[in-house]
Amino acid sequence: MIGKGFYQTLASPWLWGVLAVAACLPLVLNSYHLHLLTLALVYVALASAWNIVGGMAGQISLAHSLFIGTGAMLSTALLLKFGINMWAGLVIAAAISGALGAMIAWIDFRFQLGHLSFVLITLAFAEMGAIIVEGWEFLGGASGLLLPRDTGDLLAFQFGGGHGAFWVMLGLAAIIVLVNVAILNAPLGYYLRTIRDNEKAAQAIGVNVLRHKITAMTISAVLTSIVGTCYVRYLTFADPYLLATPTITIEIVLFATVGGLGRPFGPALGALLLVPLGEVLRGQLGGAVPGLHYFIYGVVVIVVILATPRGLLPLAERAWRGLRRRGPEPRPASVS
Amino acid sequence: MALLEVDNISKRFGGLLALNDVSFSVEKGEILGIIGPNGAGKTTLFSVISGFAPPSSGEVRFDGQRITGISPDRLTRRGLVRSFQLVQTFADMTTLEVVTTAALTRRPIREAIDYAAAVLTRVGLGGKLDETPATLSLQDKKLLEVAKCVATDPQCILLDEVMAGLTMAETEAPMQIIRELNQSGVTIVMVEHVMPVIMRMATRMVVINFGEKIGEGTPDEIIKDQRVIDAYFGEHLDA
Repeated sequence: MIGKGFYQTLASPWLWGVLAVAACLPLVLNSYHLHLLTLALVYVALASAWNIVGGMAGQISLAHSLFIGTGAMLSTALLLKFGINMWAGLVIAAAISGALGAMIAWIDFRFQLGHLSFVLITLAFAEMGAIIVEGWEFLGGASGLLLPRDTGDLLAFQFGGGHGAFWVMLGLAAIIVLVNVAILNAPLGYYLRTIRDNEKAAQAIGVNVLRHKITAMTISAVLTSIVGTCYVRYLTFADPYLLATPTITIEIVLFATVGGLGRPFGPALGALLLVPLGEVLRGQLGGAVPGLHYFIYGVVVIVVILATPRGLLPLAERAWRGLRRRGPEPRPASVS
Repeated sequence: MALLEVDNISKRFGGLLALNDVSFSVEKGEILGIIGPNGAGKTTLFSVISGFAPPSSGEVRFDGQRITGISPDRLTRRGLVRSFQLVQTFADMTTLEVVTTAALTRRPIREAIDYAAAVLTRVGLGGKLDETPATLSLQDKKLLEVAKCVATDPQCILLDEVMAGLTMAETEAPMQIIRELNQSGVTIVMVEHVMPVIMRMATRMVVINFGEKIGEGTPDEIIKDQRVIDAYFGEHLDA
């Protein structure tokens, strides 16, 4: 089912070493730093889930706020309005997100949307979702919804505040990154990359374009929705402007692109670097000169993208190989 | 037994009749050459047979079953695969990954990777598994087109000008590969511009001009056919 590469990653001491060290961080970090890291992990999870569609299949979806919003707002509303357990809410929201994702992928195929049309259509869906959330009292309307205090009752989808939320996000981010590795080494990963690089040629060698696009979008939407539910539990406040508007998708796309599209660890790297950078800049400079932190952040992103259009990860990989071999590069990264 | 039957196919693009009532059949195990001047409709014919373009009228049968209207990927999975005249590129994949995808048509992933490497080695690209197709020479790109087709384990391959743009010496390798494929039981339909190549390869030929079939027969018969000579070299002016 899955190629050797996946099992090699699973067996890598690096993976488990990094996870073990990370899992110990709540014991040494102060609550502000822990919050920064938890936030970074939320975006690692989101950017990695988006990568399945945006990176591997090359479909720049801006619909993902729809799935985050469904995961966050719907599960919260179901709990507050109907008393439905949030674990069940997570599953219901994920199922609905998956169906929405499949529908969007089908529309894309049915009407043979090009790349730009796909971006615009997904953006339109996301805007529609935002309008529905802000206009519908059931989902909290414009003022949002407030979850009950987190008492650490696991059965009620409560993880006991800072430490628990961090571990949940660490686990979720790790699983989603590993799903990326698995897909990349499975037939689906080959199909998606062939579709991304040349749809017509993919069809000619037997790739069922519709089926695999739907599969990719569904997996991505379900994972994104699950992150949305966990994220809102951490935030406690279901804010429609944060969780259900396309701005959050733009951030995800940015992190994934800066880190390295289509590579299993690329989006994770982008989020781990940029989320803390953005937060620290805002903390240090936000009060002094209004807008200065955004400016510096923007300059950093532009410089990175210009310097390494394929993202930081390919750059890091080359540096790593260089360090290990201390010899000339055998095969420069392909640029075409 | 006829493996592929093309029955009264017409294809219209707006006011242009690209194919007009073309019929022929391909026997199992043969190498059928399709020739014709530029713009005769050869590539359109391939697009219709391989499911990329629906015919305006007529039908195509493969292995006794009607395949008109079936998508290209399903046809490939059923054993009818095509190559492209315009070499297809893949921006961010290696040749091994591209051919592995083709091999996944009939094989599980681990076997597909090994098989893809074997097919690439067989066509002479064994040293270029990790290169991206865009960096290959024209000759190697053409070989990659053949490798992609072979890796899907087809019954019948439609080869669209795999020799075009190659020097005579460069055509030797693909010709040898195609012969070996044919000997292993694969039926070949090839469109080719390079007359000496197709004359040596084909067991039978179909000639197309202005979207119509104007001749059919063995290579020896074809070169003596007056309509074919006219189409290729122009009509005699002396009377």
